[in-house]
Amino acid sequence: MTKTTYKVTGPVPFDVYQPGETFEAELDPELEERALERGSIEVVGGRASKKKEGTDA
Amino acid sequence: MPKRVALKDSFMVDTSDLSNFARAVNVDMSDEQVDVSGFSATGVNEYLPGPRTQTVTVTFYGAYGTGETHAVLYPLYKNRTTTVIKWRADSTAVVGTTNPELRGNAKLFSYGPGSTRGDADTYDVTFTAIDAAGFDWFTT
Repeated sequence: MTKTTYKVTGPVPFDVYQPGETFEAELDPELEERALERGSIEVVGGRASKKKEGTDA
Repeated sequence: MPKRVALKDSFMVDTSDLSNFARAVNVDMSDEQVDVSGFSATGVNEYLPGPRTQTVTVTFYGAYGTGETHAVLYPLYKNRTTTVIKWRADSTAVVGTTNPELRGNAKLFSYGPGSTRGDADTYDVTFTAIDAAGFDWFTT
């Protein structure tokens, strides 16, 4: 399984990574989905983004 | 470990570091006290520990930006999501015997932000341990 590259978006650190920092990880799929939806992280490499469309509340 | 003034605490929810949005953490671990008293000459009650409930209540600042307090917490309540919480006294030091970390799987069974005119927007959120492992202190 290949790792995905993420970037921490927004003002809140994600795990040990600071806003704006990129990191490689194999996140739990459900954790990843929640983090993407709330804008904590974005996928910048490794595979296509799984972020859902039309889910803005 | 010396006495401390709480300043550098780390509190993480769902892998997001909400330390800067939190200003108080209160852990409550309590066992139901089951009365198993029988007749006795002294009349003193006898108890055994029953079911254990563990909660962590955090006072958060209300913040509604991307990835901030509300964006992290409300979906956890709305979707009844199980998530991991972590709290340790010193965010600038690694987890260890003198800086243990409380961890566990939790759910939010309630969510109630609010506001008062002229006051800092804060509200309490209670995380309840929801599996047999419960919340525990880790040194690694």
